[in-house]
Amino acid sequence: MRGAKQENNNGNSTMNDTTMASAVLPPPPSTRWVRFLRNYGPLPTNGNLFDEYVHEAVRRASVAPVVLSSPHLEEMIVVMTSAEPCSILIAGTAGDGKTFHCRSLWAALGGSPTEWSAPGKVKTLTALGGRSVVFVTDLSALLDTESDDALEGLERSVSSGDGTITYVVATNHGQILERLRGLGARRGRVSPLRKPIQDVFLQASGGVPRLRVFDLSRTAYSRSLKEVLDAVTGHPGWESCQDCTFDSGARVCPIAENRRRVVGADDGGRLVGRLGDLVEISRLNGSHLPIRDLLALAANMLLGHPDAKDGLMTCADVPKIQDAGTIELAAVYDNVFGSNLPGRRAFSGSALPVFRALSSFGIGEETTNGIDGLLVYGTDDTRLSGAFAAVVGSDPVYGATPVFKALQERYLEGEEEARLDDGAAAFMERLSGQRRRLFFTLPAAREEYPFWSLTAFRFAGDYLDLIESLAARRPVDDKTRARLAKGLNRVMTGLLLDNHDKLFVASSGGFTQSKISVLCETEVPGRRSGGIGMSIRHDALAQRPCLDVVLAPGGGAVTFGLAPVRFEFLCRVAEGALPGSFSNECLEDLLAFKARLLRQSELARLSAAACQGDEVFEEEGSLVLTFIEIEHTGHGYSKPVSVRTTP
Amino acid sequence: MRPRIEKVDFAVDEHIWGHRLYDEQLPHLTMLEFLNVLWSNAGAPLREEPGRTVTYKPQRQIRLRSLLFNNPYVEAIRARAIPDADKWAEWEALFLEEATGRGDKDIGHLRRAFLSFDDFARAIELLRSSAFEGQSNKRWSSKFVFPFGPDALYEDLRFESDGVSNDRRFFARTGELLYLMLCRSAKGAELGDRLVERLFSASAPMNRLVRTLQGEPQRADDDRNVGYLPHASNPRFDRMCDDWLAVLSRDMPAYDALEHLIATAGLNLLLYFLECGARAVGDANPVELVCEIVSRDRSKVRALSGESFQYNESLSLRAVRASVEDIRSTPEWEAALASADPSGECAAVLRAYFQWPPAGGDEDVDAARASGEEMIRTLAAKAESRHDQHLGKVHWSWSRALGLSSRRLSRRVRYAPNDRLLKTLVVAIVDDRMQFDEFLHEAHTRYGLVMGDAEGARLVRENLVDQEALADNRGRLESRLLGLGLLRRLSDSCSFVENPFTSKGGE
Repeated sequence: MRGAKQENNNGNSTMNDTTMASAVLPPPPSTRWVRFLRNYGPLPTNGNLFDEYVHEAVRRASVAPVVLSSPHLEEMIVVMTSAEPCSILIAGTAGDGKTFHCRSLWAALGGSPTEWSAPGKVKTLTALGGRSVVFVTDLSALLDTESDDALEGLERSVSSGDGTITYVVATNHGQILERLRGLGARRGRVSPLRKPIQDVFLQASGGVPRLRVFDLSRTAYSRSLKEVLDAVTGHPGWESCQDCTFDSGARVCPIAENRRRVVGADDGGRLVGRLGDLVEISRLNGSHLPIRDLLALAANMLLGHPDAKDGLMTCADVPKIQDAGTIELAAVYDNVFGSNLPGRRAFSGSALPVFRALSSFGIGEETTNGIDGLLVYGTDDTRLSGAFAAVVGSDPVYGATPVFKALQERYLEGEEEARLDDGAAAFMERLSGQRRRLFFTLPAAREEYPFWSLTAFRFAGDYLDLIESLAARRPVDDKTRARLAKGLNRVMTGLLLDNHDKLFVASSGGFTQSKISVLCETEVPGRRSGGIGMSIRHDALAQRPCLDVVLAPGGGAVTFGLAPVRFEFLCRVAEGALPGSFSNECLEDLLAFKARLLRQSELARLSAAACQGDEVFEEEGSLVLTFIEIEHTGHGYSKPVSVRTTP
Repeated sequence: MRPRIEKVDFAVDEHIWGHRLYDEQLPHLTMLEFLNVLWSNAGAPLREEPGRTVTYKPQRQIRLRSLLFNNPYVEAIRARAIPDADKWAEWEALFLEEATGRGDKDIGHLRRAFLSFDDFARAIELLRSSAFEGQSNKRWSSKFVFPFGPDALYEDLRFESDGVSNDRRFFARTGELLYLMLCRSAKGAELGDRLVERLFSASAPMNRLVRTLQGEPQRADDDRNVGYLPHASNPRFDRMCDDWLAVLSRDMPAYDALEHLIATAGLNLLLYFLECGARAVGDANPVELVCEIVSRDRSKVRALSGESFQYNESLSLRAVRASVEDIRSTPEWEAALASADPSGECAAVLRAYFQWPPAGGDEDVDAARASGEEMIRTLAAKAESRHDQHLGKVHWSWSRALGLSSRRLSRRVRYAPNDRLLKTLVVAIVDDRMQFDEFLHEAHTRYGLVMGDAEGARLVRENLVDQEALADNRGRLESRLLGLGLLRRLSDSCSFVENPFTSKGGE
């Protein structure tokens, strides 16, 4: 892990040596930069996370700013400088970078920084050949009358479309809709912009004519995460760490160590890749992680340590931590989840969304017998020791540390204390930490220890593969398709069916909500053929996979958006094990889907009856009820029961 | 002049709410009675001709209900390893022993209809599994098959050795009133056509199955008049009608729509009950139901929703007393008091209003000799005591049946809507999607439900609760809806309630 740094080890320093030595060592050279970075972290007062303050902070610290690219900014400049400019709406959650985009666009169009910093939330730029651009940087700060004026201006610019006065409005989603509704109410009309903007926000439509909507909360995250981490770890501020005495010899600086692991030169950036997957899955599940959160996450990953003030280290803390021998508590793998933050700040209601989202994966609590067996018995059991050495022993800093080994031994030896209530708590805590570390470090090739099993989303790997297959227009993996179909069949019928090659659309006769449905309304193939059946496709608007079921040729498709949590639910149902903690939400969603399928089948029956006039669909004078019967193998089949309806 | 109501000792509640709302006729039973009236009038559904009382002739379907609910042997015989013909024979013998002899002895057609006894048993099992209250311990003649279509409708009956009667135990005319209310709503006729089209498809497979068991429909012997509804129009009737039209427009199977029709009807009937009560006591404020979204911790909103429940619970009894006592302010009453025979004249005025005291006096004859004031007191007491028996329990039992009130985590009953009711609200209110705030506002305007701080502004002003407690309540509702798959959050401050059954078919 430590690469070249290891060579400097003079091999003879002990804890006592370093304690004595730290008194005479020169101060760490990157102190200023680390202190600046710390300000991005999840502190009670994290000034750097606000565009309005970061400039002053950069100047004071005299460090280079953290620079992130903005693909949107380029586009905004193109829109504004084109022959036919139009108004721009920049929407996003707090921390998405709305103010940053406004300021950057202002500067790019030739606005002066002093004018920008002057008070006032509405600013007009008149430098573009007689055209003017009105900037509204914070809609929520305006009085009703001010916002009415601004929004009416926006409406005019959209309806006229002549481009002489255009608007740049930055707002969060709720605010603009609320303000437009208020405007409508005060003027006794309905704002023509409200519905179209709402549809764009809800991804129900692609855009609004003559108004460019940039929804910053929909940026692809795993890419932004990588960019943030690259920008932070690649910052020139780190260069002086090369000469730092606290990260040479036997001394390991946890900050530098964490940075090396994030850069991931040895393992191809596995940590960042897996973290990116988590962030991507959170996004597809609907949680939004603003850039501000990602910056805070990056700072926390590198600087987190529970013993430091506010849970974040400065360079000055490093010698103390080294002397106390608690370097391993700074493990980047724990910091990802905010374990370093005091008072469980990472888990409370007021926690940053990023920690809330990441904690929902249950990494640290979720595990498999195999992995726990390895962590507990790995040192002693000869069958496991090879694997243990490879995935735990190889990491002396955060893996098989002396403390871990001692706790492990005490646990196994069953010392008296370990048998008391909570006596093993310290080891259990380490165990959680190791599970977290393994999630980020286990090589994908070690199939006996599947790292997704260390999360609540055991099938997330298959889910990401599915996305990839769809993007590359490759056929969907048969196992995944079969699992989805089987899960659907079980939810539809309430029976433990194993069928995966077809879908039963089943009803109870009465309400769809009934627990068991044994009446097969119709059945369709598990893959689309002859215009009917289930297909799995990419939903471009929602930007994720969906199931698409057509019951009758030429009939409408019933669509079910496949967010990761729904995918997981179906797969778990198919595998026959559903933890009670699983949200009711998925079941409700599926029941609504089932109701829509039944409605579709009702419509198909009615239209078939209409096509054939009085001739009834089934044989005249008889009725066929199709029951779903289940063999002892779990295989379901439909058994038609014929009833003569005319005596 | 108030119309005379038959078979009652006096008429007080009847002129406030109609004849009659009934606590034991829960919303689903109200719906079933309603469907009977509707089917009987399917030629001109929800249309009331001026000057003519709506009548109907309900079905009885004695064969069908016997087969389903007075037939405990089917499963046991199906399980036996004997030839099919023996199963039929054995079952028939047992069944006929219990049969009422009112059409249910005629079961020869079943052997021709089903290829085997097992198939027959399977069909019976299927129909039972979806029946309303199939598992309850009610008498078998008060159990109902799911209303699959016209052949599945029948009225509540009482079978006795000497005959069959409609004892109004569970079909107590509330469904008839519901029919009249919808007739008298602005879009009644439109709704009538939609209902007949969606709910009475004779060719629906399950209806055909039911018809196979029943054969030709069995009807009551004579036409019935529906009950008395005092209001020619009422905004609540329009609300109910609009709610039903909205539910029917959703992209869901007709049978699922029924659940929401029942719940919206129940909710609107409950509000009708409260609103008429409030009017009778002269309370001009709109009826409000303060709802706690259940939380683990005891909150101020819980106490408040308990008080709101109690206030509304007492409303109807006050209304009964008030409507009797209000007679004092009528000119007729003053004239009677000033007349030569105040006692007789007051009795006559009371009789004209309340059908009491009876003219050809029996035990009430003493009352007629009493003073006007005494008579008012007597009548009010009688009316209150009768009211307590059933009508006075409507609010309690219906709000419970609707999933609107609950005792969860508390000893007091309070308004605390359950998931099913919340889902119905979304289905009825939201066309495709609606901002959460707007949804709360609509739920308040339409049904008086107070769930958030904006809707509870009055309570905050009167210092009954602080805004934060109501805002928390609102937050809990947001999370509940999210958990039910009915809400989408856009960002920290913006969420949308989404109807999964949008008319267009949605995602």
